Amino acid sequence: MKKIPFRVYYIVLGLLLLLSLIISARVGAVPISYEHMFYFLRHPGTSIEEQLFLQIRLPRVLLCAFTGAALSVSGALMQALFRNPIVEPGLVGTSSGAAFGAAVVFVMGKSLTGAWADTLGPFLLPVFAFIGGGVATWLVYRLSNVFGKVNVNTLLLAGIAVNALAAGGTGFFSYIARDPQARSIVFWNLGTLSGADWENTGIVGVCACLGILLSLFYSRSLNALLLGETEAGYLGVHTEKLKTRILLLNTFLVAVATSVVGVIGFVGLIVPHILRLLKSSDNRFLIIGSALLGAILLNVADMLARVIVAPSEFPIGVITAFAGAPVFLFLLIRANRQQQKGGFYA
Amino acid sequence: MLEIQGLVCKIGSKTIVDGVSLSFDPGRLHVIVGPNGSGKSTLLKAFSGEWVPTAGAVTYDSVNLTRIDKLHLARRRAVMTQLPELHFPLSVEEIVMMGRYPHFSFSPTPNDRAICGQVMSHLSIQPLSGRDYLTLSGGERQRVQFARALAQIWEAPASTSRYLFLDEPVSSLDIHYQHQLMQLARDLVKEKIVLIAVLHDLNLALHYADRMIFVKQGRIVAEGAVPGIVTPSLIREVFDIEARLLEDPQSDIPVIVYA
Amino acid sequence: MLYKRNQLWCALPFRSSLLLAVSLFFIACGNRFGDKGNNKQGLRIVSVSKQLTEIIFAVGGDTALVGVDISSTWPPAAKKITAVGYHRALNSEGIISLNPTAVWNDGNWGPQPTIEQLKKVGIPLRQFDGGATIDSTKQLIRQVAAEFHNPKAGDSICDRLDRDMARADSLRKTYANQPPLKVLVIHFGQAANQYFVLNHRGTQQQMLEWAGAINVADTAQKWKNLSAEVIAKSQPDVILATDYGFDLQGSLEKFKQLPGVALSPAAKNNRIHRIEEHDLVYLGPRTGQNVYNLIQLIHQH
Repeated sequence: MKKIPFRVYYIVLGLLLLLSLIISARVGAVPISYEHMFYFLRHPGTSIEEQLFLQIRLPRVLLCAFTGAALSVSGALMQALFRNPIVEPGLVGTSSGAAFGAAVVFVMGKSLTGAWADTLGPFLLPVFAFIGGGVATWLVYRLSNVFGKVNVNTLLLAGIAVNALAAGGTGFFSYIARDPQARSIVFWNLGTLSGADWENTGIVGVCACLGILLSLFYSRSLNALLLGETEAGYLGVHTEKLKTRILLLNTFLVAVATSVVGVIGFVGLIVPHILRLLKSSDNRFLIIGSALLGAILLNVADMLARVIVAPSEFPIGVITAFAGAPVFLFLLIRANRQQQKGGFYA
Repeated sequence: MLEIQGLVCKIGSKTIVDGVSLSFDPGRLHVIVGPNGSGKSTLLKAFSGEWVPTAGAVTYDSVNLTRIDKLHLARRRAVMTQLPELHFPLSVEEIVMMGRYPHFSFSPTPNDRAICGQVMSHLSIQPLSGRDYLTLSGGERQRVQFARALAQIWEAPASTSRYLFLDEPVSSLDIHYQHQLMQLARDLVKEKIVLIAVLHDLNLALHYADRMIFVKQGRIVAEGAVPGIVTPSLIREVFDIEARLLEDPQSDIPVIVYA
Repeated sequence: MLYKRNQLWCALPFRSSLLLAVSLFFIACGNRFGDKGNNKQGLRIVSVSKQLTEIIFAVGGDTALVGVDISSTWPPAAKKITAVGYHRALNSEGIISLNPTAVWNDGNWGPQPTIEQLKKVGIPLRQFDGGATIDSTKQLIRQVAAEFHNPKAGDSICDRLDRDMARADSLRKTYANQPPLKVLVIHFGQAANQYFVLNHRGTQQQMLEWAGAINVADTAQKWKNLSAEVIAKSQPDVILATDYGFDLQGSLEKFKQLPGVALSPAAKNNRIHRIEEHDLVYLGPRTGQNVYNLIQLIHQH
């Protein structure tokens, strides 16, 4: 496994991604055959199946890929920053802050913003989710920024505190909510890709691509950071600037995606780790690989979400948890066996 | 050439380094010794640029350290500390390649790869190159870190010196590897690198150093060429312990024995 | 062709997720994109309002129903129709897969993106307003009946409703010489996972008034969390527990153990009764009967 060069991984993952996108476009409560797909793409028309494919299915498949990529890369960044494999992008408060923003909208809705609600229209929820995520992360950052230096341990603790705060806030809103609103909060917290349209898919797509490209730029510095902050400093890395920028990137990637699809956990934790167990902790590999693998896995999860209880929809956050864990355990057990022969994680 | 002028390092109101002036020429192994809390590690940190002094100047070839860009500094100054804790698996060659990071922007050039190869064979760790760092023994790991530091300063720039600082690099190693590492450091002397180490073990220092600097309570007590500089009264003054110097029939370096 | 794919990718570590994707492919192959309904008008309706569902059944239009939301539980036959999800958390693909000619709603549905998607795809959305008062309910019944070209059914249901309401009112009058009963309605909110009392807004308020009872939950909002204070303040003679919440406890004795309930006069006299949610929280063809039954229920000892 370890001897296979990076390029092979990229090619294989790329092909798998293409395959998963095509299959994902086909599968759903309304299955669309491949012939129909090619026909629609070449002859735009107005049949319901075609409109479904072009307006709902396609953007959803792409949104799923972008979200999976963004969350996974985010996970890789956070794990490099904290030098700890159990770190998730939600650790610094972004997901729970976004969830809180969403809860506010569900419960207080128009009464909160008055005239603004009309201008924002369908963007009310994503905007509030984004603000919530951003504020939570900023709070965590400020709390852990002592004398201009970001202390990674304090970052962890501050993240726990802010997460608890946001969860408490969301819990409060759930409590005072009427039953339908409370149910909306629950559904949003489990994540769903059903709201995909070209507009929000475009936004998430652009942000995801931008974020991932920028992350690649920092991959070398993040590698150096694996040796420790002091060592990275000796290698010429400006560690303070790096930490701030990685935090910003993380917020950018996670908050944008979460504000559109809700909270989908576990992806950022598992995907980089699978790659690490398969090949290497080199951050450039992890970032590219996570983007590809995350897009693939989230699409598989979404396919399941659309099919298991069709015509209803199963919450995707539950699937990522159920599907991710066994794969992870399998790899971990295999790694343990290798370890007895002097393999990884000695 | 590394020159220190009136260096003062303080944390809050506590003075750790109190007015030190020294110079270090390339081509000799300089070793700084002193009891715990004497400020020797802080000194090294000030030399390497990690610690910004409260007062005084550190100059590299007559250029003040504060005026040197962090990346350019990394191209000619390497530091080796006690083994850093690594939590993720990385191969040996990936770690050695990190030494070349200050030298390339996106991808390593063939030159970088060649240098890594040379460094690894110089330290006899070529067979380990594909191995996972976490599976190595302490001695092997230290050699890998040494290789990384060497890779950082392997190329000799035209007009400036290269600097290698070793901050207690052998404390966690067993005797065989302690000597192995110090010998490797000693071998660099002919490369005209400014070589400064901080050591705990006086005998080890005596055995390999060209020059020793004795530090106590943030001040230089004495410094000079080995073995002349070391006397029992100096050891008593600095370390507060009685010692004797025994002659070794097979070498002109004495052995320190403690009472 | 599929066979070759399996063999080719078999050796890779991702084969488990790939196999999953491939099996999904097979599952997907099995689905048909909808049959044409056997309704003579070619109508295929998805109803996301429990009130509309009941009325559709009452006017005989149920053969046109291809999908309902999960809260459409009356009549029992409604539960056999394909469920499309919770009316506030629908997904458009599921609805579209039923190939509907229209989605009937009462304006209280979502989420907004799903509504937008259905519009984009071109599925007609029919919003039916009203149904919060007896008069607007009768109007709604007639409107739905007209949709199915069955005005007679609409009229007869409305007449029946009027007669039932009158009969219920007579029954109420027979208890007029007694002081009105103080009633508290306890409901279970599944999403919030807690018990609520239903207050003065909402259909249950009207139902209780028609039954000649007083709703002693005291605030003007629709819901309030059940607590010992609420019970202490209201001191109900009778407690009505909606079906899901009652069944969650299992028995009268267990229900009494909810916060404060045991201290109420209702509990002390064992006047805690189970009532079906769909008989209480919206108006429809059976409202007259439901009020009649309600009066009998609350006066039961």
